[in-house]
Amino acid sequence: MQKHIAEIYFSQLRGKDICDNKGRTVGKVKDIVTLWTGGLPMITGILYSEEPDKLIPADIVQNWDGKQVILAESSEKINITQITHQQLFVGKWLLDNQVIDLKGYKIVRVNDILLSCDEQDGKQRLSIIAADIGIRGLLRRIGLEFLASRLDKKYISWQHITPLEKKTGSLKLKLDKDRFKKLHPVEIADLLEDMDYDSRNVFFKALGSEQAAEAIGKLKENTQVEIVTRMDKKQAAELLEDLHADEAANLLREMPKEKAAELLQLVKKDKTKELKWLLHYKSDTAGSLMTTEFIRLPVTFTAGQAIEHLRRFAQDAEMIYYLYVTDVDEKLLGVFSLRELILADQEITLGALLHSKVITVQVNDSRKKVAEIIHKYGLLAVPVIDAEGFLHGVVTVDDVLDLFMVDRTLKASMSRYLNKRGLRRK
Amino acid sequence: MKTFRVFRDKIIVFLSIMGPGIVTAFADNDAGGIATYAAAGAKYGLALLFTMLLSTVCLAIAQEMSARTGAVTGKGLSDLIRERYGVKWTLFAMSILIIANIGTTASEFSGIATSFEIFGVSRYISVPLVAFAVWILVLKGSYNKIEKIFLMLCLTFASYAISGIIVGPSWKEVLIASVKPTFIWDAEFLLMAIGVIGTTVTPWGQFYVQAAVVDKGINASDYQYTRWDVLVGAFFTWLVAFFIIVATNATLYTNGIGIETAGDAAIALEPVAGKYASLLFAFGLLGASMLAAFILPLSTAYAVCEALGFEHAVSDSYREAPVFFGLYTMLVVVGAGIVLLPGISLYRIMLTSQVINGVLLPPILIFMMLIANDINLMGEYANSKLYNIVAWIFTMVLIALTVLLLVSAFVPDIFNILLK
Repeated sequence: MQKHIAEIYFSQLRGKDICDNKGRTVGKVKDIVTLWTGGLPMITGILYSEEPDKLIPADIVQNWDGKQVILAESSEKINITQITHQQLFVGKWLLDNQVIDLKGYKIVRVNDILLSCDEQDGKQRLSIIAADIGIRGLLRRIGLEFLASRLDKKYISWQHITPLEKKTGSLKLKLDKDRFKKLHPVEIADLLEDMDYDSRNVFFKALGSEQAAEAIGKLKENTQVEIVTRMDKKQAAELLEDLHADEAANLLREMPKEKAAELLQLVKKDKTKELKWLLHYKSDTAGSLMTTEFIRLPVTFTAGQAIEHLRRFAQDAEMIYYLYVTDVDEKLLGVFSLRELILADQEITLGALLHSKVITVQVNDSRKKVAEIIHKYGLLAVPVIDAEGFLHGVVTVDDVLDLFMVDRTLKASMSRYLNKRGLRRK
Repeated sequence: MKTFRVFRDKIIVFLSIMGPGIVTAFADNDAGGIATYAAAGAKYGLALLFTMLLSTVCLAIAQEMSARTGAVTGKGLSDLIRERYGVKWTLFAMSILIIANIGTTASEFSGIATSFEIFGVSRYISVPLVAFAVWILVLKGSYNKIEKIFLMLCLTFASYAISGIIVGPSWKEVLIASVKPTFIWDAEFLLMAIGVIGTTVTPWGQFYVQAAVVDKGINASDYQYTRWDVLVGAFFTWLVAFFIIVATNATLYTNGIGIETAGDAAIALEPVAGKYASLLFAFGLLGASMLAAFILPLSTAYAVCEALGFEHAVSDSYREAPVFFGLYTMLVVVGAGIVLLPGISLYRIMLTSQVINGVLLPPILIFMMLIANDINLMGEYANSKLYNIVAWIFTMVLIALTVLLLVSAFVPDIFNILLK
């Protein structure tokens, strides 16, 4: 039978006197340790003296929530234990540190910790139930909570919290990989942007390769470069293979030249060729923005053959809603939509189906011009051609969307202020 | 040929990483900096050149330490204080930062007011307008576009170097004064010395350089270049201060002209610009003050929110980030408001705020040193012994000077008593 007794804040518990069953003071609560194996972590011991590893086991505590922490045994009989590697200090490792809020997809700082005190078999047990991330928690720490008594308390349930892995100290907090599987790439990107770079690398390693590639595509360029530069080379090369070709090329373009060349050698042959070709285009031009993973159909195909072709190659294409038709020399002849293809008679040739007036951009057109054209004509994508009319690739709307949407988060603007004051990292 | 290529590659890496140290160092020569160095030269001639050299060494050490900590930990100074020392110490450090930066913001607005007064515009018109413009431009994010203009204006301070050279002081004397310890035992000199230190090494600069290093993603392996960045920056800070002192010494001190308002510091530019000296000065002061007025309140609010974990990763609406915008607005309004107090001397504000910065610096330095010595955090990049000795001596000296200053406020005769 479990009975709820009370809720206590860690800030209130810390500093309390510890008394044995005869009322003699044993020490003070310096910190508490917990075993965090999933679910709500149970408190397993109390650090009570200046000695850094010696603990009073929590299971001999009779009463947590009074003025003092009262033990069920006399001080002579206490079986002092050592901290083990699975245990972690709540005050030292969690309080004031940043943790991942898996529900809000952001990094938050723990201002206080809410503990639940329950009674089971006549003994009180303590477990962590929530992180207090609000102003009240902050003010409570300095004894001024009454100033904010009208504000709501801001908690995050501990079930939604994952620690950032620590590289320092004897204890390693492990990231729970399964918990990240449900996150959307954009949410992962948000989290990554918020992290410092040690945490980033660890977090990144915890992701599956496909998830990692998708998330990195959503990051800001300089964050991408930073993460990839710090990865080990083999892993970075694999990531480049998983990325869309245009994203991979952009990433390489932003990296220091030597590093980029080194990584390029490790990438699979067929991908290398494509990347090298993309790298010829200048930064921030249509050529650098475009993808080469799109559907290109010979004018001689019938609609039926085209659908067959789509079935085989659509999986790897970034854009399949606009289908581009070329002649044998790969000159762009026209375009039609997926809808038109599906509705068309199977026997009709593409030459009869296509619209020959195509909105295009030139290889060297600026990013801004590409964005303007996409915006003006309301397109999902625009083909990139050279002066002779050869089709080089396709720029999709998401590659220029950020020009329309100013990143207004304060972190981003702060970053702009800081960066603009020095040279841009290239 | 190969060595050349290696050398060239190193230069390229350096250029890509360069920035935080040099920028912070330049920002140190803001309105308060110019006023303090000019006052030092006008009042004490070359006597403070030695103090300037010392504080430059300290600037280099302090900035190097912050930059290294940022590179190794990937975290800002306020984050680290929070994680290592908890809420109370964080609030303490943040209060210091806020107070020091209100002072510095006020001094930037004094600089703005001074330059507008040289153009004949009353401070009661210029300050509210500029304060509002700064406030709105930062919130709208359109500040970057005009930043270059102010940077260009700052270049006019190069005219101090030209002026210093034209005046042609006895270089031998100048060099001796630069390295020969000089200390005049009176409260005014002490105040000036703390001001010179306080304007060179600022609490603000330490937070800023670390944030910038972290933001640039500079890590421990790139760090050797950042060290040069910081050292070059410190050298430039010294160079500007050096020439201002040399120029004001030659034009003001030797002719017995005291500085009453910041505008008087323009006299030191007459060898270069003749009757246009004050215009030249006004443009430079405006540029320097505006640059700092933009970045100071913003970076302060950011550091505080980051440390205390307030929402700051949201769009620019007051409702979503009340603490950030409240703090930011408060800094601009109070900073500008101080300048508008009836009968207050703009020049005094500039000098006093630098002294306040100097007095508030030691606690921040102590935090920095404790963190940079933490093996758990810094690993092999923790401070070396020699480094610690120099840094602690400097901190202690600064604390001693501050205590002496406080005592002299209550016991004006302290210097006579001490000297006997």
